[in-house]
Amino acid sequence: MKRNKEKVNVSEKDFVFEFKAGRQQCVLKVPLQFPVQENLNDLHGRFMLLHKIPCFVENDLKTCLSNFIERETNQDYDRVAEKALQSLMNSEVDISELTNAWAKTYSETTLEHSHPEEPSWDEDFADVYHELIHSPASDTLLNLEHNYFVSISELISERDMEIKKLQERQAAAMDTVMQELGKTFSDQDVNAVASQHFDAQQVLESKWATELKHVTGIQKQEYQEWVIKLHQDLKNPNNSTINEEIKVQTNQLTESPESGSCLFEEQRQLEESFTIHLGAQLKTMHNLRLVRSDVLELCKHRQHGSSGVKLRRLQTALSLYSSSLCGLVLLVDNRVNSYSGIKRDFSTVSMECTDFHFPRLEEQLDIVQQVMLYARAQQSSKLREQPELSRSSGAEDKNKNVDKKNGNILPGEFYITRHSNLSEVHVVFHLCVDDNVRSGNITARDPAIMGLRNILKVCCTHDITTITIPLLLVHDMSEEMTIPWCLKRAELVFKCVKGFMMEMASWDGGISRTVQFLVPQSISEEMFYQLSNMLPQIFRVSSTLTLTSKR
Amino acid sequence: MRAEYIPCVKVKRQRVTDIVDTLHRRDVYSGMSMKPLRDAMLGAFTFFASPLPHDVCGSNGLPLTPNSIKILGRFQVLKTICHPRLCQYVDISRGKHERLVVVAEHYENNLMNFHKQCKPLCPDQVLQIAYEILEGLDYMNRHGMVHRALCPQNVLLDCKGNVKLAKFGFYHMTDRGADVDFPIGHPSYLAPEVIAQGLTHRSRSFYGKAPSVSGPKADVWSLGVLLFELCVGRRLWQNIEKNESFKFILNLGCMDDIVTVLAEEHGCLEVIKELPENLTILLRKCLTFLPSKRPTPAQLLDDPVLEHVSGLMEPFYKSISLFSSSLRSAHLELPDDITNLCKDEGEDYLTERAIDEVYYLWCLAGGDLEKELINKDIIRSKPSICTISKFILDDGQSFGQGRDRSFLLDDTTVTLSLCQLNNRLKDVAGEAYYPLLEDEQSNLPHSSSNNELSSTVSLPLIIRERDTEYQLMRIVLFDRLLKAYPYKKNHVWKEARVDIPPLFRGLVWAALLGVEGDIQAKYDGIDKDTPIPTDRQIEVDIPRCHQYDELLSSPQGHVKFRRVLKAWVVSHPDLVYWQGLDSLCAPFLYLNFNNEALAYACMSAFIPKYLYNFFLKDNSHVIQEYLTVFSQSIAFHDPELSSHLNEIGFIPDLYAIPWFLTMFTHVFPLHKIFHLWDTLLLGNSSFPFCIGVAILQQLRDRLLANGFNECILLFSDLPEIDIERCVRESINLFCWTPKSATYRQHAQAPKTTGDGSSISISSFGKTSIYLQSDYQDFTKTDLSREPLKLSDLKAELSPRISAEDLIDLCELRGSSHFKTPNKRAKVGKPKILAVDIRSPEDFNRGHISGSINIPYNPSFGSDGELVTCPAVNTLSSYRGRVIIVLSNMVKNAVMFATHLLKLNYPRVCVLDGGINKMKVTGLLTVPSPQI
Repeated sequence: MKRNKEKVNVSEKDFVFEFKAGRQQCVLKVPLQFPVQENLNDLHGRFMLLHKIPCFVENDLKTCLSNFIERETNQDYDRVAEKALQSLMNSEVDISELTNAWAKTYSETTLEHSHPEEPSWDEDFADVYHELIHSPASDTLLNLEHNYFVSISELISERDMEIKKLQERQAAAMDTVMQELGKTFSDQDVNAVASQHFDAQQVLESKWATELKHVTGIQKQEYQEWVIKLHQDLKNPNNSTINEEIKVQTNQLTESPESGSCLFEEQRQLEESFTIHLGAQLKTMHNLRLVRSDVLELCKHRQHGSSGVKLRRLQTALSLYSSSLCGLVLLVDNRVNSYSGIKRDFSTVSMECTDFHFPRLEEQLDIVQQVMLYARAQQSSKLREQPELSRSSGAEDKNKNVDKKNGNILPGEFYITRHSNLSEVHVVFHLCVDDNVRSGNITARDPAIMGLRNILKVCCTHDITTITIPLLLVHDMSEEMTIPWCLKRAELVFKCVKGFMMEMASWDGGISRTVQFLVPQSISEEMFYQLSNMLPQIFRVSSTLTLTSKR
Repeated sequence: MRAEYIPCVKVKRQRVTDIVDTLHRRDVYSGMSMKPLRDAMLGAFTFFASPLPHDVCGSNGLPLTPNSIKILGRFQVLKTICHPRLCQYVDISRGKHERLVVVAEHYENNLMNFHKQCKPLCPDQVLQIAYEILEGLDYMNRHGMVHRALCPQNVLLDCKGNVKLAKFGFYHMTDRGADVDFPIGHPSYLAPEVIAQGLTHRSRSFYGKAPSVSGPKADVWSLGVLLFELCVGRRLWQNIEKNESFKFILNLGCMDDIVTVLAEEHGCLEVIKELPENLTILLRKCLTFLPSKRPTPAQLLDDPVLEHVSGLMEPFYKSISLFSSSLRSAHLELPDDITNLCKDEGEDYLTERAIDEVYYLWCLAGGDLEKELINKDIIRSKPSICTISKFILDDGQSFGQGRDRSFLLDDTTVTLSLCQLNNRLKDVAGEAYYPLLEDEQSNLPHSSSNNELSSTVSLPLIIRERDTEYQLMRIVLFDRLLKAYPYKKNHVWKEARVDIPPLFRGLVWAALLGVEGDIQAKYDGIDKDTPIPTDRQIEVDIPRCHQYDELLSSPQGHVKFRRVLKAWVVSHPDLVYWQGLDSLCAPFLYLNFNNEALAYACMSAFIPKYLYNFFLKDNSHVIQEYLTVFSQSIAFHDPELSSHLNEIGFIPDLYAIPWFLTMFTHVFPLHKIFHLWDTLLLGNSSFPFCIGVAILQQLRDRLLANGFNECILLFSDLPEIDIERCVRESINLFCWTPKSATYRQHAQAPKTTGDGSSISISSFGKTSIYLQSDYQDFTKTDLSREPLKLSDLKAELSPRISAEDLIDLCELRGSSHFKTPNKRAKVGKPKILAVDIRSPEDFNRGHISGSINIPYNPSFGSDGELVTCPAVNTLSSYRGRVIIVLSNMVKNAVMFATHLLKLNYPRVCVLDGGINKMKVTGLLTVPSPQI
């Protein structure tokens, strides 16, 4: 299409050059394409060679040729320019539309002509926080966050207790009803009791939900105000009280008791790391890690205590506004909500601690839902513009279209949420997969795999340097996932990710990354080691450095 | 008293080359590199290329080239545009997310400063500015470029008040604005036809038609507006909305007298009326609405309006490049008083260096472009987490991403401070900037800073390349040597052995390859446009050749690649294009990106030297012989590895063809090739064998531990090779290899003309001459090696050496050997042990002095071990020396050598032609009877 457009401007003109050789009058006539693409020297050299021009006119020919080209090119410029002016004069083009387009472009693309920026609370807060967390105040910040976390956990355990009590009471009530079934109570009565219980539960749950929402709202506001104030105080060197406060708090922290409560949990995690080189000539180094763990383990916020937890937390906080973010791929179904399965579990985890920086998960999902609807509208309007495209890929998209109308997302599409309150993750990619991934035979063209590619691309454009991918494309194991199934799936994902990583080098110029492959907690240790043997066969693991030479 | 005397002598001993060079530096813009920095500064500005749509493929099925890379490729030619009215472009670099940073000559003073004073400029000054701007524009036009962004901010003024046009290459490098989101040019200065033609960016194209292109006359309008503003002392269209001003400009077409209309509109009719007539005429000519009636810059320059200004200006002569047919020093004249040249004491020597050199050093001294721009608040990036998109479709299209203000264009130029560099170089003495080439002494350290430098020489190359002071010295030295090329060719060779400064690598390589003459004319004379059958293959190969590199992956890079390769194919009718030629071309093209002719010339000089006849249509005999010699080299240097590889059948044919056919350019990234070739170019055509062996030795452990399949896998994706170690080891291997061991009958025949290179250089008397002179360079005598049939050659595991070499290595003729230069040092020669396997009777009748006798027949037991005897003990105690097996039957000698190989004796070779060859020389000695 592009080529056709360009052809419009091409014209051919005859270059005529006359010279005398002895008594002979010679004429060289060459058709030239305008605009001239070739280098003048080349053209000249070719004329001399092909037309066997005698060397004594070499310089004449050169001057003549360059003058000719210059003159004709300028005439072409003039012609095109005046045509444009003429069409304006003849009102073929609307002047105000044209000038508005120019003015709009200037204001949208250049700082000098753009509208002044309205200050954004998010970014200001981001700057302030980034500065504070890289200062001695970081400890104070973390402790404050932790205190808030503790109070939320207390609230949650209270909630769980109350719900549990209610359920016990209801179970007892139900038992008595069941015993009396057929005597004093009819089936209808049982149903009524059941629905009554259900309602009661709902009421209780929603009461707690509002309570939690309320508390987190307050916490967030308090926290943000406090951070801003701390920042202002720190800027002002005269105010020494706050500095001392920080010092005091630091001291308290070092004394905090080391409890080994989390130790046994960590033991279940299996982990193996590899360093690889990718690329044919220029090689880039990346780190790979194979981890056997539950996906939410990476998100769960834990009580400070065992030494690693706080460091990990600090690490996550330090890099929150940096250019090395951590991402996680979560496999979800085609609805944007948090009602069932892994989505619900994830939502629970994300609620365990207040997010002081970003909106709550629910709110983020609401926005995603809106953005998605907008995207769908854009898509369909584009399809209407290009009917030939939609026809070509028509039939198979039928059920896709049904999904689209329902406001669901399709396999391979994903939405992104941002979090500051998860233990090792900043960005979560919710990748939509269908039941195909549970079957054995998916190919490299599967939407889930293509989704992974797009995720890696976002990683490139948004500085996500650590990404965790579920290796088997499932979060939990089931009957049909046999050993050969696992091996086949792992091979596919390894190979595809390797391909994408090589592609990535051309997107971002080869930045070193860490890719974590996550396998479900429930696979056997033997299986894990089989997979970890497979990895170096697919990726080129770099050789160990020998420090002593033989000679 | 003495101390004062010495410098005097030095000045006197300074020969004409030095003085000529000084003249070059001071009075004519140097042809090789850019002009000196002087009072200019280095400036940097940044902008974003427009991002590509997701997952769109080009017509060849490969992903599209990012716009930033396109711009980077197109930028390169701007570096060659040197004119006193144009700011010199120095460098471009790519940052994250399609950011580009351009470095150019910069001055803080510009025409905006006149506007700050809010009063009209005097007419003469306006005329002079007009003339100077036109000069710059005209020069650009002649190079096929249009400014399009002419506005007061981009007309800089140097210290003398002369005009320097900035950002003149913006329109060119962005493909006329197609590769960026923002429009090129300041809205007030756009010519009416530019506005009428609509926006050029592809996605914004107003008509949905092809983006149209501005010609040179668009700049003349901008100039008119600019001059008008200077004349009246105020800026136009400052107080009205932009779309209104555009409308205003477009409607000027209906007016008769645009200058008057503009003056009326801005209430300065009085000022305009009082202007001298020639200025008013100039304004009217510039502000002509219809382009066809508007003059071009070239026409305006010749216009009588500017007549009296043009007389005042010095004409500009383009300097002559290093390789050209004209005389580089033809116009140089010695001033009457030479002492004038040495006068300027206390000068800032650094600023006398070329701009690109200063920038290079600035980078080495820790300069960081992005940091400078961040400090000046030009780069304001938001945290990535704040800009991440919310929803991504299955085709990768993203939604919900807020518009990021930090991506808007802010093309303010930031001055790069030279403080850090000056600080770094403050201890460098003034003489260091002007070393005396003719003076042998000058190469020895004499000042305190030079003492440090001489210790730097012993540091690893990577460190030396990052050392500011050291690089300064090297740059200064090589700059002068290259200016005196080819006269100083030998000196270049000598210094290249120390190392080659990366900044001048392209030219130094050309000098090492002996490129001379009018290469540009030769290159121009080759028809690179007519289609040839090879085109298709070239077209397929180029987008797969070193594409990780920004330059080579740019469309400009591809075009140049194509032209150089085609030129080579067309100009070598007896040879053909083999895949691999593209890789071979890559380093030359990369280093001489702006000089295709030089890239072509270097490649044409390189191939016959190292790859003679490799590109024949039927090259199998050449390659087979080469590989056989290579496997003999492996056996010679590493018998254990060789036995293992032969055992598992992992022969060089399986892996080494791309190594040698591309001289390792197919296996290594460019930065490693550079270091490898720096040494390769100093060596002769058999040096590549040593590189090959050195690579194998780095992988030795893995090769020995693995079988055939693993080895194939290992080599299909060659692991990282430590290139410095590889270079070091290959030099070492080379020194251990007798020259005739790598004899090939299909190598390049000895040069018939007595080419000075190999002979004249040997007079330096360093060990490394051994590296350089080719075995084939020497005339063939009876004592040289005889060609063997390929099948016979393949049957032999150990290399043969010539009688000549034996004589030389045993020093049978002392140091007076006819072909060996006197000063050839002993250290360069390997230690040898000659093993005579004839029967003791024959041995006693005459043998080479110093040889030991191990008769062939009883020497090996049934287990393959050597039967012990005193001579065998000697042999094993000298393990590691070069062992030369002598016999009257070559077959026996070959068998014997094979046995030794099996016993893992390294460096075993066989005397070609046997002892009989030695008999005629009369060098055999008979031991005295009592022994």
